[in-house]
Amino acid sequence: MADRGRTIEAPSTRAARAESGTWRLPEPVTGVLLLLPALLLLLLLTLYPVLYGAWISLFNKHSFFPEQSFVGVANYAAILSDVEFWASVRRGAVYSLTTIALQIVLGVGAAVLLNERFPGTNILRAIVIFPYVVPTVVAVIVWKWLLDSQFGLVNYVLQSTGVADHPISWMGRDWIMTSLILVSVWQFFPFVMIGVLARLQTIPLELYEAATVDGASALQRFWHVTLPQLKSVLFVIVLLRSIWMFTKFDTPWLMIQGGGAETYIRTLPVYTYLRTFAYYEAGLGSAMAVAMFMMLAAATAVYFRLWRRDESL
Amino acid sequence: MRTLSGIVALAVGAIFGTQVAAAEKIVRVWHTETEPQTIKAFNDIARRFEAKHPGVKIEAEGLAWGDLEGKIMASLAAGSPPELSHGQPITCTALQSKGLLLPLDDVVKSIGDANIWEQVRRVCNVGGKQYGLVHAAGTSLLIYRRDLAEKHGLKPPKTWADLVQAAKALTLDSNGDGRTDIYGISLPGDNLFINILLGELIKANGGQLFDNNNRPMLTDRKMIETLEFWRELARYAPPGWEGHGYLQTFQNLYGQKAAMMLAGYGRGAGMIEKFAPKDMANDKTFDVWVKPHGPSGSEPAAQVDEEPWMLFKEAKNTNEAVEFLKFFYQDDNYLEYIRTVPIHFFPITKSLRQSPAYRQTEMIQRWKGWLDAQEQYLEKDQGKPTLVVDWADMTDKPYLMEVLGSGILRDMVIDATVEKMEPQKAAEKAQKRLEDLMRSKGYLKR
Repeated sequence: MADRGRTIEAPSTRAARAESGTWRLPEPVTGVLLLLPALLLLLLLTLYPVLYGAWISLFNKHSFFPEQSFVGVANYAAILSDVEFWASVRRGAVYSLTTIALQIVLGVGAAVLLNERFPGTNILRAIVIFPYVVPTVVAVIVWKWLLDSQFGLVNYVLQSTGVADHPISWMGRDWIMTSLILVSVWQFFPFVMIGVLARLQTIPLELYEAATVDGASALQRFWHVTLPQLKSVLFVIVLLRSIWMFTKFDTPWLMIQGGGAETYIRTLPVYTYLRTFAYYEAGLGSAMAVAMFMMLAAATAVYFRLWRRDESL
Repeated sequence: MRTLSGIVALAVGAIFGTQVAAAEKIVRVWHTETEPQTIKAFNDIARRFEAKHPGVKIEAEGLAWGDLEGKIMASLAAGSPPELSHGQPITCTALQSKGLLLPLDDVVKSIGDANIWEQVRRVCNVGGKQYGLVHAAGTSLLIYRRDLAEKHGLKPPKTWADLVQAAKALTLDSNGDGRTDIYGISLPGDNLFINILLGELIKANGGQLFDNNNRPMLTDRKMIETLEFWRELARYAPPGWEGHGYLQTFQNLYGQKAAMMLAGYGRGAGMIEKFAPKDMANDKTFDVWVKPHGPSGSEPAAQVDEEPWMLFKEAKNTNEAVEFLKFFYQDDNYLEYIRTVPIHFFPITKSLRQSPAYRQTEMIQRWKGWLDAQEQYLEKDQGKPTLVVDWADMTDKPYLMEVLGSGILRDMVIDATVEKMEPQKAAEKAQKRLEDLMRSKGYLKR
């Protein structure tokens, strides 16, 4: 009873105090105190804006002026019945799924190729990473020049080689999504390549030797040895790239600056931006951002679940 | 000891320097003129002003059109707007309606009330006070290939039907390889210019965008006629026109891919001189026609590109900003500015327009017809700012900025032209979206 209300010290703390004769905080408390500044900063910079965004999604709020009124879930009801919202989700899904698939195919292919040793491998590896390190604004401007319907190099090559008999309007209705996908895949496949290449270099050679002894062809070795070994790294890559591509704003936005059939690549992030900064509807824009988050969270949960089921097999 | 003295001297110097910097009054100016020669002229004027006004510094920044409105709004939300900024006329009235601007009447007085074009005085003029003063005006123009039109015996189109016929006649296979290589008309596909053109066309067809109760009038017969006309005209535009921005519409013209340009501007004369083949870079090849009117309209209409200077109430050095504007509009300074894009920058002062120095500008003499056409639109009051159909819209419809930004009108035009949706259907779809927007903003009762 005499100990009630007193701090029970860990033996190590007691020993330390007895040894030095000075008072010290218990280790767990010290740990928490040391973590606290970083934790507070993290909460302030990450959690607060997210929660504030979710909060203002319940208001009819002007984006810049202090005009707002509480509307409850009306913004969510509005976006659910907004045809343009669903069209933008559809466009975003087409864009992200296509680019992810192509990035994976191209990234894995490039990684397998660059995993081989041949003269100039290192230089080639550096060159292939180049698109990923180019700032998006530069990449898009350069591609828009290349794809210019009248003076662009791409049309010139296509026409002079007889592939196309007339200039293609790369920024028009029929081709702008293709152009966007092309630019995005070019820009982001090196990310996949780097991740996969790193994993390829750690696959034990014995596995390939055993497969070769068993008479496996190159394709069979890739299918039965390489791909299973890449599974875990591809899991992370697909997850990250899916999130990044579905929320990608800068590339589609820059594609429509100064020309570009905006309607046909108005993905959800672009539409959210327009709602917030062109319609000046911060509340509705926030509701869209929250909806985007929910969709991604749901897709991620499904992805994890499928993966776990697959693992158990 | 010597080290200590050095440190003290440095500290004193730093403190003194900070005080000097603090004493300097900075006038921040945002403008939308990004051509190098205009930026240079503007900066030169600013330096001369600084020389005459010690302690005042002009910090000018040229911004792209698309970036400006958002940047202004963000600066206002942060409580640190620039002293002066360009903006769309409808932005000016929207900000004025929220009490964020100061009048520029002192500047008007210094220029001389009667010396300013009447059309310009109407921009962002609320209750007799001038809240926005146009830096220079330039009307939209119907530019055409005179050589081709003469070859095909075309006369100036009076009506939209005439224009469609002209576009059809000028859609050509010029090299005889069986494929069209010159299209009848260059049309803009980006949001701003579709809005500009729609505002202009609905006026030329005697219609309106909104009624007096702020209800959109997109399903009105006059709008349907406008969409039908647009759809017809688009048949003779280069494929993929919906992806063409402002510069590409000019590129089509001087690159000989299109024979006419409906949303052309005086700035195009400079591009033609720079990029068209030398023997074609003149007004004998590229001339202007007066714009035609619609079936329900009776007179032409043009859009006037006339961003007003706005003076922000919350800015720090508003008096210095007013002094700078007075200096800017002085004939010699203003002429220097106007001469940087002389066919697009129509001066707001009558005195400059009539001055020999201005008239003798070489480029003005070369493209005189283009300027005369603009003067006609201004004098006959046929030119209005973007989406303004009637001058009362400037004050009665402070939501036009949001309408422009939303892209709803652009989607309607794209639906009716590129998507081949029936104009009535496209209009109904846009009407619903626009009504929703107006309700959410509180301009339309639920």
